[in-house]
Amino acid sequence: MGQSDIWTERYRPTKFEEMVGQHEIVKRVSSLVKAMNIPHFLFSGPAGIGKSTLALIIVKELFGEAWRENYLELNASDERGIDVVRQKVKDFARTKALENVPFKVIFLDEADALTKEAQQALRRTMENYTNTCRFILSCNYSSAIIDPIQSRCVVFRFKLLEKKDISEVVRRIAEKENLKLSPDSFETIYEASEGDCRRAINLLQATSSVALDINSEIVNMIAASNKPTGIKVVLDYALAGDFINARDKLLDVMLKESVSGVDVIKEIQKEIWNLHIEPEIKVRLTEKTGEAEFRMTEGSDEFVQLQALLASFVLAGQGKAT
Amino acid sequence: MHKNLAEKYRIRIYPEFVGQDKAVIDIKTFIKEFPKKKGAILYGPAGTGKTSLALAAAKENNLEVLELNASDLRNRAKLEEVLKPATQQQSLFKKGKILLMDEVDGVTGTDIGGIPELIKILEETKHPIIMTCNDVWQTKLSSLRSKCKLIEMKALPVPYIEEILRKIVEKEKIKRDAVFLNQIAIKSQGDIRAALNDLQSYQLVDSAVDLSEKRDVEDSIFNILKKIFKERQDFLNIFDTTKMSLDEILLWIEENIPKEYGNEALAKAYYALGNADVFRGRIYKNQSWRFLVYQNIFQSAGISYAKKFPLAGFTKYDPPKRILKIWLNNQKMQHKKTIAKKYAKFVHCSVKRAMRDFSMIKLILKRYAIQKQLQLGDEEINFLSNGGG
Repeated sequence: MGQSDIWTERYRPTKFEEMVGQHEIVKRVSSLVKAMNIPHFLFSGPAGIGKSTLALIIVKELFGEAWRENYLELNASDERGIDVVRQKVKDFARTKALENVPFKVIFLDEADALTKEAQQALRRTMENYTNTCRFILSCNYSSAIIDPIQSRCVVFRFKLLEKKDISEVVRRIAEKENLKLSPDSFETIYEASEGDCRRAINLLQATSSVALDINSEIVNMIAASNKPTGIKVVLDYALAGDFINARDKLLDVMLKESVSGVDVIKEIQKEIWNLHIEPEIKVRLTEKTGEAEFRMTEGSDEFVQLQALLASFVLAGQGKAT
Repeated sequence: MHKNLAEKYRIRIYPEFVGQDKAVIDIKTFIKEFPKKKGAILYGPAGTGKTSLALAAAKENNLEVLELNASDLRNRAKLEEVLKPATQQQSLFKKGKILLMDEVDGVTGTDIGGIPELIKILEETKHPIIMTCNDVWQTKLSSLRSKCKLIEMKALPVPYIEEILRKIVEKEKIKRDAVFLNQIAIKSQGDIRAALNDLQSYQLVDSAVDLSEKRDVEDSIFNILKKIFKERQDFLNIFDTTKMSLDEILLWIEENIPKEYGNEALAKAYYALGNADVFRGRIYKNQSWRFLVYQNIFQSAGISYAKKFPLAGFTKYDPPKRILKIWLNNQKMQHKKTIAKKYAKFVHCSVKRAMRDFSMIKLILKRYAIQKQLQLGDEEINFLSNGGG
């Protein structure tokens, strides 16, 4: 494959020594790979800190040029149910591995998107194909993965990348792409990325499509365009007692910006503390927000729960708690 | 020939339509003003005399009736074949023609292609078209609605039905006392045909009418909303009388709560709806249909008692907008989804993340080389050059 023009791909590390941060993990994983025998792995940690990258390095080290034939990448949050995952695993695992390694590798990203029941099914699948396949699971929180799976894997907890790590990545790319960055833009990119290296690089490339001379102002502008903007407006409508406009606007934001109900909840939860209402009402609203988020994860309808929450904000706007 | 009572005593002239004065006036104006509106829809519960009124309209105006049943003509080809020539020919014996299309709400599913055809015929017809249906507010009839005069037939009140029964009993020399007739009238729930059928079936049996065995009357969603928001009655079986699914009703309630409630009551009502939804989720997740009863109660009594007294007066309820909005958005955003999919596969991340960061990613995807690498189609590239959503 030729070089990609998407920077997250072009500058993705391909060797263990190129990995940024995560030194301990890299050291242990690379020694396992050198022995040509790896166990199942569970990589846990937030987005954009090198989980997929390390998985890719592992298969490239194991299989060399033939890595594509011996590697299956799945994303649990995109697949429709565990049955699809199992079928894909089955189809892939049926044929024997090439080259001089006795197994293939399956990378299941965002495994914590699977329900507990689905994870039980996954555990069976892992057992059935353990002779021909190794699994690398990734998740945000290892606590969301059931114990039987955790006990079958070597668990690695990835650390959040530090500011200096991200800035170093940004500096290297800027140099190769002939970009001029003002000193304060490093800080801004790091802040906006929230420690997510993929987002930092995307932000850099998106900004560079607008200007080659990059300062923190432009970076901020691009970063702001990527935030769900309407939530504050939605809450303002609700607090002013205009429920109908609040919910219409909410639906618009969710649809136009492809934000999930849980993402909306997260924004609301952060926004509550900036509102001009009594602290004890803030606490009550936070409780309501938490309940709504919990209900969503349990399979409730996002929009119904959000409307119930908005109705509480209408009351809060009049200084009343529910 | 031995006719059944309902057929035998079908009403044939305007003055006999008791309790439907408004509808009679409406249909007279419709015929008189034709072709101002080319079609009329008579709607209302079963057995209120919709077909009879249409037939009476023809008789009173000396028009020939060409009767068609939408349930029989469930496809475009037949509609075209039968209805179209009829609309353009002159009648041989009578002054003119009326086309009667019974049960337009019987057009369903794949036959829905028949509705646009019907509308086309409506535009071209030289004769008035009268249609009947139970529920005129279904979405599939919306385009038809706007082209037609809507005439409502109300369920007949018990005393009216009793009176009709009394006259017929007299003529038929059936021996029945007033209590019996009253029971049949109550049981019929305003459906005169049902009352007559019952009368006939009990004619020979000497027993009291079983009142518990109510006729299955299809309640329209508006009645259900009215029961919940205003009348506060029959909570336990309020949803048994409709074919609409509980989830669809939930959407209707969701849409209309703000019209009835404000402030504390609004919050309480949505709290109840939220609870109904939680149980809905549990039913789906665990297939525990036992929980249906809880969804039922929160979705009816829970909403109703969100405030002490119901809002008096008439409220105009709207159909739920949410599903339509989602659909429209999906139409508009379908390219966003396919682009996000291609991108996600390429850079090893989830489609959901790609969708979320799309406003950033679309800037990156402006470059032609990248578009080529992701093998974006022309439409997708167009979508990006037009701002990408």
